[in-house]
Amino acid sequence: MNLFKTTGVNRGLMQIAIASLFFAASLTSHADETCMSPYMAKIVGQEDFVYVWTLGQENLGDEQDKLVTIDVNPASPKYGKVINSLSVGGRNEAHHSGFTDDRHYLWAGGLDSNKIFIFDVHTDPAKPTLYKTIDNFVKVSGGVVGPHTFYALAGKIMVTGLSNNADHGGRTAMVEYSNTGDYIATHWHPTDQDLRGAEKSGKFADGYGYDVRALPRRNAMFTSSFTGWTNYMMDFGTMLQDPEAMKRFGNTAIKWNLHTRKPEKIFDMPGAPLEIRCAWQPNHNYCFTTTALTSKIWLMYEDEQGEWQAKAVADIGDPSKVPLPVDISITSDDKGLWVQTFMDGKARYFDVSDPFNPKQTYEKEIGSQLNMISQSWDGKRAYFTSSLLNNWDKKGDQDQQFFKSYTWDGSKLNLEFEVDFKAEKLGSAHQMRFGAYGLYGMKRPYETKQAEVNSNASDTLLASKPE
Amino acid sequence: MALSASLILGLELAPTWAGEQTKKEPNTEIRLAPGDDKTSYENTDYETNSLSLEYRTGKAAGLYEIATSPQLGLPLVSISTNNRVDRAKIQLGRKLFFDRRLSRNKTMSCAMCHIPEQGFSNNELQRAIGFEGRNLKRNAPTILNVAYYQGLFADARESNLEQQVWSPLLAPNEMNNPSIGYVIDTIVSSSDYSGLFENAFGTPVSMQNIGDALAQYQRSLISGNSRFDQWFYGKEESALNTQEIEGFNLFVGKAKCAACHQIGRDYALFTDNKLHNTGIGYENSMLKPSQYVSVQIAPGVVTQVARSRVDSVGIPPENDLGRYEISLDPKDRWKFRTSSLRNIALTAPYMHNGQFSELEEVIEFYNRGGVAHELLSPLITPLILSKDEVKALSAFLRSLTGNNVEMLVSDAFAVTIGDSD
Repeated sequence: MNLFKTTGVNRGLMQIAIASLFFAASLTSHADETCMSPYMAKIVGQEDFVYVWTLGQENLGDEQDKLVTIDVNPASPKYGKVINSLSVGGRNEAHHSGFTDDRHYLWAGGLDSNKIFIFDVHTDPAKPTLYKTIDNFVKVSGGVVGPHTFYALAGKIMVTGLSNNADHGGRTAMVEYSNTGDYIATHWHPTDQDLRGAEKSGKFADGYGYDVRALPRRNAMFTSSFTGWTNYMMDFGTMLQDPEAMKRFGNTAIKWNLHTRKPEKIFDMPGAPLEIRCAWQPNHNYCFTTTALTSKIWLMYEDEQGEWQAKAVADIGDPSKVPLPVDISITSDDKGLWVQTFMDGKARYFDVSDPFNPKQTYEKEIGSQLNMISQSWDGKRAYFTSSLLNNWDKKGDQDQQFFKSYTWDGSKLNLEFEVDFKAEKLGSAHQMRFGAYGLYGMKRPYETKQAEVNSNASDTLLASKPE
Repeated sequence: MALSASLILGLELAPTWAGEQTKKEPNTEIRLAPGDDKTSYENTDYETNSLSLEYRTGKAAGLYEIATSPQLGLPLVSISTNNRVDRAKIQLGRKLFFDRRLSRNKTMSCAMCHIPEQGFSNNELQRAIGFEGRNLKRNAPTILNVAYYQGLFADARESNLEQQVWSPLLAPNEMNNPSIGYVIDTIVSSSDYSGLFENAFGTPVSMQNIGDALAQYQRSLISGNSRFDQWFYGKEESALNTQEIEGFNLFVGKAKCAACHQIGRDYALFTDNKLHNTGIGYENSMLKPSQYVSVQIAPGVVTQVARSRVDSVGIPPENDLGRYEISLDPKDRWKFRTSSLRNIALTAPYMHNGQFSELEEVIEFYNRGGVAHELLSPLITPLILSKDEVKALSAFLRSLTGNNVEMLVSDAFAVTIGDSD
């Protein structure tokens, strides 16, 4: 007897039970780096490390992609230092990474080579090791290119693609793996030829992909849309002057059924919507994203009738100058949204207490260019890196490559320390993920030497998972 | 019965889509355009018309028959090398052409730039992009009817396809293979090639037979019997409409196109296989660019971005002096080979650098007399064509699409794309 074969009736009961379980979980489970999956173990106190997935640069150091570990605990004698660098071979167009739900492994992708590097971060959180490399992503997925987001689901990883092996354009799919690295399924984004049951609510069904986030208690999953290999790999200035290339950007976001993995509604969202950040509070049924080219904050929200809608709710800087908003980060209380603009290197803080009326209340130039942010769960610390894509980064002296650590006192950012990734011969600093001893029941080595009475050492807490 | 957490999780672990990877039925209709259609993207009323990659399937064609049978409007291909047409060699070349493993980091095949449904060219870029996204300075040309070129590349620097294939395989900004041996080793270590070279050539993989195989596939992509051919050579009066016939008369008359894009009594290659200076290369090398760049940021939305802002994220375009770069003769500055116009409706954007998106822009360029300078070809003079005459010429050019292109594209769709396993 197949335990999992369900009738329509008992499947409905199970879905109610699942929804209830997710709802209960949402009350207790949060993640650090407020962009993380709610399925994941979290850090609520001081993080010990930031892992920086770094692009190799030609003629710099060993020229290859690497996972750089930086000690960020002010109590550590190595605070502010690079304490490990693990090169993986090749320039793979290192981009994003994500932990498995148990947070034992960090999956990191190469948008060019399509390799997925799985790092063991639990055996020694201060010194990750390369556990496994997946190098047949394109083949097993049926032609998906550009593994981008690695998003933890229950026992699985959802990998978003950016492109395909047929034309290197933007039509693509999500690819689902088990935590152990076994391929499970490919979920193609809907196109006009095959909407896969989705409602085309506007004029666009481009089939593009980029980021993915979930609101488990609403059984909802959301994806955004960027561009294909040809554009994300090419020189940015050349692309801006190529009218054909500029037509190849995504203009959609999609609401999916989280459980069935089926697309349900396609929203028009012109100008390449990128990162998606969903609200954390249990009654906040909405997610933000920003469009890179048209410089707007968009809100995807569930209306009073239970229908999901999308609406542009604010401009970012002067859209006519294409400031290029890239990474965003929502505060854990859902009241603030950090928006980074690449071209002017600014971090911008928006008050999103009223999600329909975001107001920019603060901005600071972090560097000549700026991409990623990771903020701590309490919002008191924010880390920034510089690189967007190898061939999109600024050229010459303006190609600053850094990791910068700031504290946020609610009104301004204060620089604590920075690491110059060029001076350290590391490469181009891209995405950050937090690590901590406490996640794995370990004590910080510099604290274990102290008396037992001081062994309230780790204020890092491991939260219960949804299951 | 109470639902246990494990049961719920079990359901989560084994939903209906688990293992989903359904193979779709082959396409019965082939769209000769990008599956990611951007027609009218410049307008606010743009609407997507996208195809699903799952349906990008096809049916193998008789390429040997195509390579060895006459087509209306085209001569049989004459092969001056020892690489005689052979079924197994064509099939092997076809497999190599779509194999992404034949590049340094296993991401670029020949077909990533010569995309079948995009006229075996690339409609989505002005100039091609290669290894690690590196810039190329020229548009990816179609390989349909490439068999008829006497000189290959826009500067005609290579003399036959067997040799030509090694340029992109080894170019640092194209497929970036570090050596000939690296390519051979890649093939030898791929189990799906086991015995294929021995079967086709009677010898193991070598530099020579890799070139021979790829050349054989490309020479099989012959596409004639267009509506123009049916009208002109087949004497089917209804094959062209009035506007297209007017365009033909302009093509061979007032517009002087046929001076270089030649039409013969028995066949038409639409190229004289010579090199000319139209002024477009001179313009790009010598004239100052505008201070603002028009950038389309969404359907129907264009903004002006300061040149300095664009330059901050871009590398300067590589200069292109055309044939001069080969001959080092100053008279050859900005000379480029005449491209065939067959299947021109499928191969936008146009010119050696993909500068023009539409055929009408190309015609208007020649209508202006190209770009005046001392090396401009004497064949290029202002044409004084009316708007209707421009439209008629454009209509005629759109009649040059071969009647077997759908079949060739479907054949390409039937190939398993080579990726690492």
